[in-house]
Amino acid sequence: MNTVFPNRILPYLLLAPSVILVLVFFIYPAAQSVELSLYRVNRVRDVQVYVGLENFERLFHSDSYINSLTVSAKFTVAVVVAALTISLALAVGASLPIRGFGVYRTLLIWTYALSPAIAGVIWALLTDPAIGVLTDLLKAIGVNFNWRQSPDDALIFLVMAATWKILGYDILFFLAGLKNIPHDVLEAAALDGANSWTRFWRMVLPLLRPTLLFLLIMNTLYASFETFGLIDITTQGGPGRATNLLIYELYQDGFKSSSRIGLASAQSLVLLAIVATLTFIQYRFISRRTFYQ
Amino acid sequence: MSNKSRRILFTLLSLTLLIAMALPGLATAQDPTQITFWHAMSGSRGEVVQAIVDSFNEANPDVNLVAEFTGSYAETLTKALTAYSAGEAPNIVQVYEVGTRTMLDSGAIVPVMEVSGGELDQSQFVEPILNYYAIDDELRCMPFNSSTAMLYYNKDMFEAAGLDPEVPPATFSELYEMGQQIIETGVAPNVISFGWPAWILEQMYAMHDQMLANEDNGRGGLATETYWNSEFGVQVLTEWQKWAQDDILFYGGREYSANDPFIASEFAMLVQSTSSLGGIQRAVEFDLGTAFLPTLDGYERNGNNVVGGGCLWTMAGKQDAEYDAVWRFFQHLSSVEQDIFWHKGTGYFPATNAAVDALEAEGWFEENPNFRTAFDQILAGNDTIAARGVLLGDFVIIRDVVGAAIEDAVVNGVDPQQALDVATEESNQILEDYASLIE
Repeated sequence: MNTVFPNRILPYLLLAPSVILVLVFFIYPAAQSVELSLYRVNRVRDVQVYVGLENFERLFHSDSYINSLTVSAKFTVAVVVAALTISLALAVGASLPIRGFGVYRTLLIWTYALSPAIAGVIWALLTDPAIGVLTDLLKAIGVNFNWRQSPDDALIFLVMAATWKILGYDILFFLAGLKNIPHDVLEAAALDGANSWTRFWRMVLPLLRPTLLFLLIMNTLYASFETFGLIDITTQGGPGRATNLLIYELYQDGFKSSSRIGLASAQSLVLLAIVATLTFIQYRFISRRTFYQ
Repeated sequence: MSNKSRRILFTLLSLTLLIAMALPGLATAQDPTQITFWHAMSGSRGEVVQAIVDSFNEANPDVNLVAEFTGSYAETLTKALTAYSAGEAPNIVQVYEVGTRTMLDSGAIVPVMEVSGGELDQSQFVEPILNYYAIDDELRCMPFNSSTAMLYYNKDMFEAAGLDPEVPPATFSELYEMGQQIIETGVAPNVISFGWPAWILEQMYAMHDQMLANEDNGRGGLATETYWNSEFGVQVLTEWQKWAQDDILFYGGREYSANDPFIASEFAMLVQSTSSLGGIQRAVEFDLGTAFLPTLDGYERNGNNVVGGGCLWTMAGKQDAEYDAVWRFFQHLSSVEQDIFWHKGTGYFPATNAAVDALEAEGWFEENPNFRTAFDQILAGNDTIAARGVLLGDFVIIRDVVGAAIEDAVVNGVDPQQALDVATEESNQILEDYASLIE
């Protein structure tokens, strides 16, 4: 069905604010990144030297960048898998008609309201190697957890904090998705003798696929781009380079040095290309098997 | 309306108009000059800065100085330079020693001598501080918060371990032996932690009179080569790695996060900036001792400890009246009264000789021997080029590179030579990038 606007200009006017926002805050800076990636720039002195693709070449010959790629891959996979699994389990639990479920739901969504930096502060305090409460509890059961002195612990620590922070968001969408599953279908299956496990695997999960696809993409974006604050406030990429994710490496080159904004721009384009490819693959792979109602 | 009343009305109107026209002039004459000051002093340090700013504003009603906390040192530097490109720079910005070369080459600053119209008397400053920030013998920024690193130790724990609480370790090997005793007696599971490890490595170079870069440590021209992987550097890092492997060194992060566990008696010694003294002294419940940094065996303390901390830079592109106000603030800052207030409130060095004399006269150092340690330490060695400290372009990111190398060796068990080779190569690349856009 086509909605016909009586006024030909009105729709453009209505669209204008969003279009302008996107142009000014996304398209223009992105275009600038493309340009900058071909230069070596000192942003304070306003000196610019054209270097062609040198910045990209350097990236792929840099051990430190290759390390960041590997660490980012591990981190992203861990966060996405952990976040989706845990949030789905919690959402299914919270969608059951139990007493006080309204309160549970609100509490579960809470973490979404925090910024990654705040999440970092909370987890850094909890697991501080010397004075953290959680560290003491872990020590009591014989686990020595120290994210300042162990590269593995550092990555685990970041994955925990990042996962915890995104749970609220995922649960919110899973709850909405679960609510949309028609009750009568599940009831019919139950009457036909399908137990709750089968109902979950055979019916609930397939019906949740659109939500799952959406969250998979959003969580990948989150793990790739939004975890900067968390890292900066806790491990700062260390120990060594154990948690130097792509986004953090980019920040260091772009903002902590005066002459590497070109290199940082090249990194941002590579990161964009990687995430775009992942999104495309996820979309193609899952949407083919997704049936929308 | 009669003629008379018309005339009155006309007169009134003219008067109003005249007054209205004069108002803007009056307003500008009375409006205080606005100047801004960006700094990186949080917590109790920030409160002391604000108190100094308030006293300045009170004494100078025609100036309104607004001080703003703009995040960590690195963030403040980045923000100020970005703001300069956008034409919105503050008048004054506090930059840590690492940013010195970047500020010098930025073209965004006015040297403090110029700001003062040649009135600044350089000889009023304590010598090692002057030596760090003077390039070609001329100060470029206003010395403000200067510190160095020293050894803090817990006398109670020394006593509990059967060590003499009045004899802190003077060398690396003494530190190692005392550390073993502290662990063996069960006093603490770990012995020592560092704040700012990369800076401590720089301190080691300076106090053992080792050069860190070519071009006279970056003071004769733009340095293009660093010597992190020199025999000396590798030796220091090898020692640190051994300490870590034997549980003596508890790695405590890149800034101040080691302070809290030290205060909580989790370990017996801390190498940290002298500027933490005020905070630590107020917080500890044990008997606190301080000492010079231990030396590496086989080397002598030839140089001074290098000065760290911050300096106040004046940004370019402002009105004359603003520069005048900035200069008045700098004078206020270096007055004996304010300098002493700053020193007592934070632990940073008094910057001027006059303040040091006044503190001596009132017996401050005798009552507070811990404040004396730091001061004695920067005067203990000889003034050499190596001891003045290295200046590097984009030192901010180079320090991260070195910080990562130290963590790789100390925490991740990477061979110190290999870790420092990587750091040297990366540092040199950064310097090359930097130089390619300056010349």
